Amino acid sequence: MSAQAEPIAPKPAAAAKTEPAPPTLVVGHWPHLRGKDSIARIMWSVAACLVPAALASGWFFGIRAYMHIGLAAATAVVTEAAIQRLRKVPVTVSDGSAVVTGILTAFCLPAQAGWYVPVVASLVAVAIAKQCFGGLGANVWNPALIGRAFVHVAYPVDLNPSSYPVLTSGHVTANLGTAGDALPAGVQAITGASPLAQMKAACHAVTGATPGANQLKAGVEAAAADIQAALAQAVQQAQDQIHAGLTGGLPHLGDMLMGSRGGSIGETSALLLALGAVYLIAKGWVRWQIPAAYFGAVILGALALPIHLAAEVTQGTAVVASRDQYLWAAAWMPELAWKYVAYHVLSGGLVLGALYMATDMVTSPLTGRGMLIFGAGCGVLTILIRLYGGYPEAVCYSILLMNTTVALIDRYTLPRIFGHEK
Amino acid sequence: MRKATFPGGVHPPPSKLTADSPTVALPLPPRLVVPVAQNLGAPGKPAVAKGERVNRGQTIATPDGFVSAWLHAPTSGTVTGIERVVDAASGRQFDAIAIESDGLDEWADGCDQPRDWRAIKPEEIRKAVAEAGIVGMGGATFPTHVKLTPPPGKTIDTIIINGAECEPYLTCDYRLMLERPADIATGLEICLAATGAKRGIVAIEDNKPEAVRVMTEAVRSVSGAAVQVLETKYPQGAEKQLILACLGREVPTGGLPSDAGAIVQNVGTAAAIAEALAHRRPMTERIVTVSGDAAARPGNFRCRIGTPVRALFEKAGVGADFEALVFGGPLMGKAQFTTELFVKKGTSGVLVFRRAAAYDNGPCIRCGACVRHCPSYLNPSRLSILGESFLDGNLDAIDAAMGIGLMDCILCGTCAYVCPARRRIIHLVEMLRGERRKTLERKREKQREQQAHLKREADKVKS
Repeated sequence: MSAQAEPIAPKPAAAAKTEPAPPTLVVGHWPHLRGKDSIARIMWSVAACLVPAALASGWFFGIRAYMHIGLAAATAVVTEAAIQRLRKVPVTVSDGSAVVTGILTAFCLPAQAGWYVPVVASLVAVAIAKQCFGGLGANVWNPALIGRAFVHVAYPVDLNPSSYPVLTSGHVTANLGTAGDALPAGVQAITGASPLAQMKAACHAVTGATPGANQLKAGVEAAAADIQAALAQAVQQAQDQIHAGLTGGLPHLGDMLMGSRGGSIGETSALLLALGAVYLIAKGWVRWQIPAAYFGAVILGALALPIHLAAEVTQGTAVVASRDQYLWAAAWMPELAWKYVAYHVLSGGLVLGALYMATDMVTSPLTGRGMLIFGAGCGVLTILIRLYGGYPEAVCYSILLMNTTVALIDRYTLPRIFGHEK
Repeated sequence: MRKATFPGGVHPPPSKLTADSPTVALPLPPRLVVPVAQNLGAPGKPAVAKGERVNRGQTIATPDGFVSAWLHAPTSGTVTGIERVVDAASGRQFDAIAIESDGLDEWADGCDQPRDWRAIKPEEIRKAVAEAGIVGMGGATFPTHVKLTPPPGKTIDTIIINGAECEPYLTCDYRLMLERPADIATGLEICLAATGAKRGIVAIEDNKPEAVRVMTEAVRSVSGAAVQVLETKYPQGAEKQLILACLGREVPTGGLPSDAGAIVQNVGTAAAIAEALAHRRPMTERIVTVSGDAAARPGNFRCRIGTPVRALFEKAGVGADFEALVFGGPLMGKAQFTTELFVKKGTSGVLVFRRAAAYDNGPCIRCGACVRHCPSYLNPSRLSILGESFLDGNLDAIDAAMGIGLMDCILCGTCAYVCPARRRIIHLVEMLRGERRKTLERKREKQREQQAHLKREADKVKS
């Protein structure tokens, strides 16, 4: 809070009655008043709003979660300071922006990943995604998400969603192994994976989270006469798996809200994340338009877009028959449909992404209208990638893709200038 | 009543420390220094010489062109010389007429006599306003007779008397409304008569309910006049924003209020018009709010034009422990580099702050606050980035800024007030405008040279 912005009660002047020495005057351009906001105030507030979810992550995923957050934040600060030294510009780590980037980077990594993963992700986030573009305010893409995208490619095993830490009843973390081995045994075997991977698995009845594998192999060496029956059975099996998931196979919705579910360190507790976001929205540092449009588009998309099932029957290596089946969530109204939509909203990184990543000031549009378009774009991309892409975690890439369009959105959504024709 | 307002704007802490301090007449200082640059437009030309005796209200400078104003002796005494003094509005030096007071404070012949202004024709009213040296007292100091002379073909249907006083700290307009409501109402009536406008509005922010009550009572006798309550918001008193709030009309880009059928006059100007027309008193004094955290006894002081700031400091208990001296309000006022300054017709406030506001000049973090709050619907973030780009050597930045409304900025400072990076946005905007002016001048100069060259060549061929 700057002292100048506040009215200060007049105090008796100490000067004597005699001619006072002329004061040294500071001449600045108007305005001579400043609002209370500063970059540091905003950034440290965002960091503070992430603390509840950060604290909870240790409860859910163990001490490794704290370790990752600490490593990522420390790496971000050290990297920023080092690069600013090299660039011979003032070191501005005290403004808190590097700390926020570090925390957010750790938040979208699984606790079971090796110690090098948060370090590398944070390094890439600050060094490449932020400082290479000119530092705070100049980056096009969200640094934390670039860091996450980098390690996703660099360390696929650490980042495999099916290897995400698993919650048992006592909140003990355990590693389940890869879903690739687990799936053939049935839905039961993947209950430990992140709910989003589960849902995708259930929706497609796929062989694990292997990208692109969305066929249901209904039977090898099936007799020609049984082909149609096998296909029908495959489709039925897939539908049954989805229903089983929605009616009991997936974590309880209450757990999803609180955060006792598989997933990345900071993305699981929708409630704690929302708590901080409400404060930031009230302060005006997070604009409601982005999360509203983001969640809105995901909800509408989940209701409007069908789940695609592809069943095929093979003999040897040859595919002898296949069938595409589309399931509409809206057809399960009311109860299952809403449950399905709720899982879409609460699973994966959507809550974290919509409230803290997409709303990053630097990489989102300037105007409310632009923010609505931006948020809706993120939502549409997320639901499309989730339903039809080969990768269950869509939020990261949706936001990065929409970051790319921000300059264009700004260009067409800036207001009409006062006194000008439209 | 509907609270009128405009889109955008901010709510800075009002800090109206002196709202309840009745106006106090400042004792006549022994020496007054009246700068000739009192108004927007051309400064006046001194019409008195050293050693000449003057009476209060006597002309001491005449206008230099139409957009220029008359100037009158603020008291009776002897002209001790024409000095060069710093102008508080521009920071440049101008001529100033120094007058040693004889303490008698005698009015010049023909001044300070009642007159039935209702018998005067509109063009005579405008002439009288001009000869009384009246300029906009809100701070812009635009000669009032020019405002009251709408360009041919433009019809004025509404006169808005601006009592918004949206700048923090300032209370001179508020005190005037409480203390001299009848003069303001008469001023409005005269403006209506001078322009043929049918409607009169006294616009007051809703944080001044007492002024609303008093002025509602005062304008009851003026036909077609009423008080319009405004939402308390900065810059509610900015001309274009006020017209939009009161009438729902936008002044087109590059246009004047007359293009929206309106004329806006500050309450102080309205009272001065009444003084000049009904009492034959030219503009020789005004109310100045002296405030800020370095003023021990802040107050509203009625003082003569040309009063040294030092005299105000003494009265308001201002010592030497201040870092910023601002003429005008804290948002649009001008910081001064010297205390050798004198009250001018546009000096609404003299503010002293222990600490000057800091510019961190951080990087734009694209928070969009400036875009949301800009009352001209501009993108100040982009304008400031273009300004920095220009300073880095990108000469095309001026054209780019022109394309996004560089000239539509009203310089209200709302953007810089809300900016969390504390960027010097207005500074950069003004810099770009100045550079554009220079570029245009250079271009014109080049064209003239080229034409002269062509002419010489043509003459050579002929001979």
